Amino acid sequence: MKLFKKGKLALLAGAMAMAVSGAFGSFALAADVTINMAVPDWPPTRIMQDLANKHYKPKSGNNVTISLDFIPWPNYYEKLAASLTSGEEKYQMAVSDSQWLGAFIEGGYYMKLNKFIDADPELQAIFKDLHPNLVASYSTYPHKTDNFYGFPQMPDVLVTYYRSDLFCDAGEQSAFKAKYGYKLACTPAEMSDTDWDQVRDFGEFFRRSSGDSLAGQTLNDDFYGIAYQAGIGYDFNTMQINGFIWQHGANIWDETKAPTGQALGVVNSPTAVKAFEHYLSLLEFMPPVVKTGTMDIFKTDELFREGKVAWNIQWIGFGESAISAETSKVADGTDFAQMPGLRNDDGSITRWSNIGGQPFVLTTWNSDLVTQESVDFVKWWLSSDTQHMFAAAGGQSGLQSVHTTDAYMDYRPWNHAFGPQLNWQKDVWHIPEFFELLVQQQQTFDKAITGQISAQEALDSIAVFQDELLREAGHIE
Amino acid sequence: MSERYQHRQGLIAQFISENRGPLLVTPALAVLVVMNIFPLLWSFGLSFFKYRANRIKEPEFVWFKNYVKVLNDPNVWDRFQTTAMVVSIDVLLQLVVGFLLAMLFEKSFPGRRVLLMLVLTPMMLSFVAVGAFFRYYYEPTFGLLSQAIKAITGETYILLATPEGAIAGIIFADMWMWSPFVMLLVLAGLVSVPKHLYEAAEIDRTSAWRRFWTITFPYIRGLLLLAILFRTIEAFKLFDVVWIITEGGPGTSTETIAIYVYRVAFQYFKTSQSAALGYILLFAVIVLTNLYLFFVRQRAAEEGG
Repeated sequence: MKLFKKGKLALLAGAMAMAVSGAFGSFALAADVTINMAVPDWPPTRIMQDLANKHYKPKSGNNVTISLDFIPWPNYYEKLAASLTSGEEKYQMAVSDSQWLGAFIEGGYYMKLNKFIDADPELQAIFKDLHPNLVASYSTYPHKTDNFYGFPQMPDVLVTYYRSDLFCDAGEQSAFKAKYGYKLACTPAEMSDTDWDQVRDFGEFFRRSSGDSLAGQTLNDDFYGIAYQAGIGYDFNTMQINGFIWQHGANIWDETKAPTGQALGVVNSPTAVKAFEHYLSLLEFMPPVVKTGTMDIFKTDELFREGKVAWNIQWIGFGESAISAETSKVADGTDFAQMPGLRNDDGSITRWSNIGGQPFVLTTWNSDLVTQESVDFVKWWLSSDTQHMFAAAGGQSGLQSVHTTDAYMDYRPWNHAFGPQLNWQKDVWHIPEFFELLVQQQQTFDKAITGQISAQEALDSIAVFQDELLREAGHIE
Repeated sequence: MSERYQHRQGLIAQFISENRGPLLVTPALAVLVVMNIFPLLWSFGLSFFKYRANRIKEPEFVWFKNYVKVLNDPNVWDRFQTTAMVVSIDVLLQLVVGFLLAMLFEKSFPGRRVLLMLVLTPMMLSFVAVGAFFRYYYEPTFGLLSQAIKAITGETYILLATPEGAIAGIIFADMWMWSPFVMLLVLAGLVSVPKHLYEAAEIDRTSAWRRFWTITFPYIRGLLLLAILFRTIEAFKLFDVVWIITEGGPGTSTETIAIYVYRVAFQYFKTSQSAALGYILLFAVIVLTNLYLFFVRQRAAEEGG
C-alpha cells in the first residue's frame, strides 16, 4: 500500500514534469551548441563557412554555431595533430586528409560512424549517392572495409589547366600541325582526349626563349610548355607519380592485401620502373625550378597564373584563382580538361590518378548532443540543395545526383572534367605509418627528380624501406 | 583592530625586507621550472619509454632501447654529418665576414651610422622572412640570382639543383643573416683597444700584421670565441631557413639533424625516440660548449702565467 502510494506520487511527479516540459518545451530544448571545426584555409572551407552562416538552420531547434578554425595548408597536419594528441579536445569536427585516417583512428581521435549510418535512412541514401571511389578513399578504415569514419567535405581531383588562348591560336595550330603531323588540341573535349605522348609534344613545342614569338607576341622572358608537381614537400611528387604507376599497370604497396601483400617486387617491379621513368622523361620540358625538386603545387600554380607555362596539371581546388583576373594574368585564356593518360590500342585512355580533397570527421570526445548536431550538419552539407550552392560558389560535389546534372556543368569551366575523372581515382595508403612511408618516398623520388639516382635505384630503395617498415609494423608477414 | 592590522603590516614588511632577494628571483625561477626544467625532465624520462603521442597505448619502460635505436639509425649519422659540414663552413664564413665588416666599421667615414644600421638589419629579420626571401632569390624562373647570371651567360642558373649548390645556398643565407652578429661582437672588442698602444706601435714602426697580431687580436680573441660558441650552438639547431629554402632537399642533402628530430617527433610521432635524439643533440652541444670553456680557461691560464 505504501509502495502503491509512492508509485502514485512518482507518477504524479512524472506527469507534472512532462506537462511542464511540454508547456515550456521550446525553451527547455533549445540548447546552445558550438561545433568547432579544424579546417585548412582555402576556398572550399571559406565557402562552407559562408554557406553555413547564411543558410544552416538546425532541425533540432538548438542554437548551433558552426565555428571554423582556418589553419594554413603548409602546417595544417602538424597543428591538427598537435591539438588532437594534446588532449585539449578543442575540435568537435575536423577536415582531414584521407591519408591521416589510420593514424588518428588508431589514436582514438576520429569517431566511427557506422551506428549513425545504420540508424539513419537519410545518411544511407547519402552514402548510396556518393561516388564509390570517394566513399572508399574518404570514409573507410581499414581501407575499403565497411568501417566508416568520414564524409566528403570537398572532393578534389587532378585536372588539366591549359592556355586555350595559345592552344587555339591559328598560328600555333598550323605550326604544330606542320611539326608533329596532327592537330594541336584546342577545345576541352580535344584536350581531354590527350595522352602523355601528346603532352610531351606540347612541352617541346611551347618551349620558347626570350625574344621568340608566342601566339603572335614577342616574349620578353623564357616560356615553358608543361608542368606538373615534382616537389619534395608533403606529397607533392607522390601524387603525380602514383598516377603514372597505376596507368602503366604497376602498383604501390596495397594495404587491402595486408598481411600477404608485398612491397618488394611490387613497388620496384619493372613496370613501376618504366612508369617512373616515363614521369621523369617529361621533366625536361618543364620550368627550370623542377630541377631543384621544389616545384610543388603552389609553385606550378604560381607559374601558370604568372603566364610562364602553357599547360599544367593541378587540383581543381586551385581553379578559382586561375580564372580570377585579380589573381591570374591568364584568367581570360584558361580552360580545363581531364588529366591525360596512357592511350590503349582501342584508342581509349587509361587515366588512373591519385585522389585529392578531404573528408570531414567527428571527434570521439563529443557528447551525444554535439554528435547529433554534427551529424545533422553533415546531412545538411551533403543535401542536394547545399551541394548545388557549394558547386555554384566554386566547390565540388561527390553526390552523383548533383555532379551529373546539366546545371552542375555550368557552374564552373572545370566541372565537365570532374565527374569522368572521379571514375579513375585511387588513394595512397591510410595506415598509421603513412607519414614515414611518405617522407622516405618523397625524398627518394626527389633524388631521382634532381638526377642524383636512377628510377630503378629510387624504387629499389623505396621497396626495401617499405618492406622493413611494414614488416616491423605487422602489415607484411 | 588597528593595532592588529599594523602588527600584521609590520610582519609582512619585515618578511619582504628579509627575503627581498629570494622574492625577486622566485617569479623568474617559477617560469624557468614550469617552462624549461619540468619539460626537460619530463622528456628525459620519456626517452626511456616506448611511447607515441598519437596512440592510446600506455607508455612502456624500455631502458636505453631508444638511445640504442637512435645511435644505430644510419639516417641520424647522415644528418649529423650534414649538420657538421654546414655548421663548420657556415660559422667559419660568418667569422671571416663578420670580422672584415668589423674592421670596416671600426673606422669612421661618412654615412657609417646609416650603413651600420643596414648591415645589422638581416639579424633582426625573422627566420621565415629570410627563408622566403632567399627561396625567391635563388628561384631560377623569377629569381634575381638566376636573372643576373643569365644576363651575363645567357643561361638560366639553378643553384639549388645540386646538393653542393643547395648547401652553398643555405650557408649563404644563414651567413647573410648572422655575420652582423659576429661583427657586433668583434667591433666591441676593437673599440676597446687603447689607442695609445697603436700610437706606441706606430712610433716603433711595427708592421700592420704585427700590430694586429700583438695588439688587436688579444683584445678580440675572447669575443671571437664567444661568437664561435653562440653561432655554433645556433647553427647546430638550423631549421627554419633550410625548411623554407629546400625542405632538406635535393633528396636529403640539406636535411639537418634539427629537421630530422622534427620529422621523428611530429611527422612520424615516435615521441620517445625523438626525445632520445633530442638528448643526444643536447649532449653534442654540451660537448661543444665545454670545448669552448676549455679554450677560454686555457687562455686565462696563459694570461695569468
